[in-house]
Amino acid sequence: MSFRNYKDKIEEGDTVILYLSNNLYALDVQREIKNKKGEMIENVYQTPFGALKVKTLIGADYGTKIELTKGWGHVLQPTPELWSLTLPHRTQIIYTPDISMILLQLDLVPGCVVVEAGTGSGSLTHALIRRVRPHGHVYTFDFHEHRAKIAQEEFKDHGLADFVTAKHRDVLAEGFDKDLNGKADAVFLDLPSPWLGVPHALAAIKEEGGRFCSFSPCIEQVQRTCLALQEHGFQEITTMEVLQSEIKVSRRTVPVRDLSFLKQKSSISPVEEKPSSETSYVVGALPQSNPGHTGYLTVATLPPVYVRGKSKKDDDNISSENGEKMVVDENV
Amino acid sequence: MSNEIKIGDYVVIQKQNYKKLHKFNKADSSISLGRDTVNLKGIDGCPYFSVFKMIPKSSKRNRDYTVELAQEAVKLKDEIDIKVSGSDNRNILDDGNSQKLSASDIETLKSDSNKASDIVGTLINNSNTFHNKTEFSQDKYLRKKEKKYFEYFQVIKPNLRVISEIMYKLDPGKIQNLRIDTLSQIITMVNIHSEGNHLLYDSGSNGLVAAALLSVIGKDTNGKLLHMHPGNMSQKQALLAMNFPEEQLNRCVSVNVYSALRQFYQGCDTNNGVDKDIQTSENDENPLKRKADETDEHQSKKMKQEEDEELVESLDKTDGDKPRGNKKPKWHFDNIAASEILQNKMDSLVIACKEDPQNIFNELVSFVKPGRPFVIYYSAVEPLQQLYLTLRPRANVAALKLTCNWMRNYQVLPERTHPEVTMNGASGYLLSGYVLK
Ligand SMILES: C[S@@+](CC[C@H](N)C(=O)[O-])C[C@H]1O[C@@H](n2cnc3c(N)ncnc32)[C@H](O)[C@@H]1O
Repeated sequence: MSFRNYKDKIEEGDTVILYLSNNLYALDVQREIKNKKGEMIENVYQTPFGALKVKTLIGADYGTKIELTKGWGHVLQPTPELWSLTLPHRTQIIYTPDISMILLQLDLVPGCVVVEAGTGSGSLTHALIRRVRPHGHVYTFDFHEHRAKIAQEEFKDHGLADFVTAKHRDVLAEGFDKDLNGKADAVFLDLPSPWLGVPHALAAIKEEGGRFCSFSPCIEQVQRTCLALQEHGFQEITTMEVLQSEIKVSRRTVPVRDLSFLKQKSSISPVEEKPSSETSYVVGALPQSNPGHTGYLTVATLPPVYVRGKSKKDDDNISSENGEKMVVDENV
Repeated sequence: MSNEIKIGDYVVIQKQNYKKLHKFNKADSSISLGRDTVNLKGIDGCPYFSVFKMIPKSSKRNRDYTVELAQEAVKLKDEIDIKVSGSDNRNILDDGNSQKLSASDIETLKSDSNKASDIVGTLINNSNTFHNKTEFSQDKYLRKKEKKYFEYFQVIKPNLRVISEIMYKLDPGKIQNLRIDTLSQIITMVNIHSEGNHLLYDSGSNGLVAAALLSVIGKDTNGKLLHMHPGNMSQKQALLAMNFPEEQLNRCVSVNVYSALRQFYQGCDTNNGVDKDIQTSENDENPLKRKADETDEHQSKKMKQEEDEELVESLDKTDGDKPRGNKKPKWHFDNIAASEILQNKMDSLVIACKEDPQNIFNELVSFVKPGRPFVIYYSAVEPLQQLYLTLRPRANVAALKLTCNWMRNYQVLPERTHPEVTMNGASGYLLSGYVLK
């Protein structure tokens, strides 16, 4: 239940995050687990730094250092960010840099109702829940029955069931729940044909309007989605890409080569001179391999009913400046 | 916040892609949009998102407008009927003579017509080349003209996304180049949500970071924001522009960092009975702050001055922190409240500063509970690199990570999709991690 509220101490039943020299592991705090034969035995978690007797964590403070035979680490309380880095992958997932932007672009604050499809591994869902609770609610759908069920159980185990409803449903074929018509402040789609979800998003969003966001790896998906959004009266259709890079910091000692002495005649003039001294810098370098693409975020506003235009074929909203010079002008 | 525009609200005026924040403090307040002055009389009570048409007061020449509620914004393309287009641009020569009207003809046309479509229609009819241009070029021309002559605007509710966008566009230097993607990550990296006590030190984002944190703490929740700043008054522009309800705004305690820490450690927020005036000047004369301001000013010289003043016009006169009469001023109670919050320790720490973050972090980190996250924003990487190396060997922090972001917008049009030609290059760096026992 360590997902629900801030805690100071670790209790049995919590999920904790082990932080061991830049590696993260999610671990369920249970004194005993079943072995292969189905007998209850003491829970010992194997880490690269040695075995951890899980029961020793119970009662310890979050943020505490833990000693292992070959090193040490720390235990942290899970946050949606730490969970995204440690959760069991059942699908591709969305990570924190995109998640952060999605939350902000959807104008989500506590109290909002947000509809999501598909649930996938629940990486985004955890962040949505955290943002809209305690008065808001997340409705999340997946057409993969098993995934929908696991997600549902997971939210319950995490103590989040009050804030989320996870259902098995093909939202492109059936739309979102009828009960959700006109209830949502925001709709988010991460599925292969988001453009087909646009009419359902239109139905789900409140009369006073709301926001839409879709995450798609391919530009063709984006193009079709933008057209669908336009046809359904969405405004301010914008597509963007966000990438985060980690900077590796180190102190580097650099040789200094002096060339100035060559201006004077001197006794020795070897061809290859040794560097004359050293200097030190703090340097930041981008890693060799860096994320180059995750997905395009396409966002849009659905205005309130009283200003919703008729379906118009008009690309003004998604236009942007571009350099080509106009030939006709006013001659002024 | 209700759905109707009401006096006292901060509103966003959106004219095409241009957005501007405005404090709608009286029914007939005026706003300048580019070179136009628009009297907003009549928008009071209309629902947000309404479209208004700008009506010239007399002739277009003096650029004074009143407004009228409109059904929808009429697009030039719908009003002007284009019959022929060329198939490519091979025969088009820009010799500066394609327009038959003279400059003074055009001036007269502009001041005499009341409708954008009349102006643009006449321009097109007097152009030798327009009808040879491709549909695509014609379209682009109309869009460009529309930008110039567009007569409609919408009034929308400010929110974090819109405010962040407006402030970044207007003068990124004033918010330390804090771009929306980086701002969004500050919120998530430190797990800000409806619960907990969150500590912010901010010395130069015009209230943007505080607005961001308080908005996700939410209304009718328990979360609190302790907002520390080095100045006499906190920078609250963005915070006020969010139109937070009283109850929510009250859960953001804004305090001068010196007074609040003095109160915490010494049980008294002024320097040994020396009164507020002296305390104030101490902070005002803070040489560091001066210097930072100057650099900033230098940077923002490049910015369009005109627009610059506009934002300030309605946003600056705000704070009510001044002592009144003999009563203890509000700031004194805020310092006590801050000290109490600090006593119970904090669930997160955010620093967005102009100063070297090192000392500030060292002092404030001691208020953070073990296991809780922190993030430091800085507009340049070097101070954070230095801090990273200082913190790495320490036992009280873990999972240190220094990151930067890249963000690109796309033009998405059938057969014409490409990244936008300009990118917002500048956003700073984040150093994040967790506090340990
Ligand atoms: C990439 S995953 C989503 C990952 C998720 N955003 C996360 O961060 O964990 C896409 C999911 O959409 C589901 N899906 C695809 N089409 C769907 C449909 N028509 N209705 C409901 N779910 C669908 C798939 O089963 C899959 O689980």
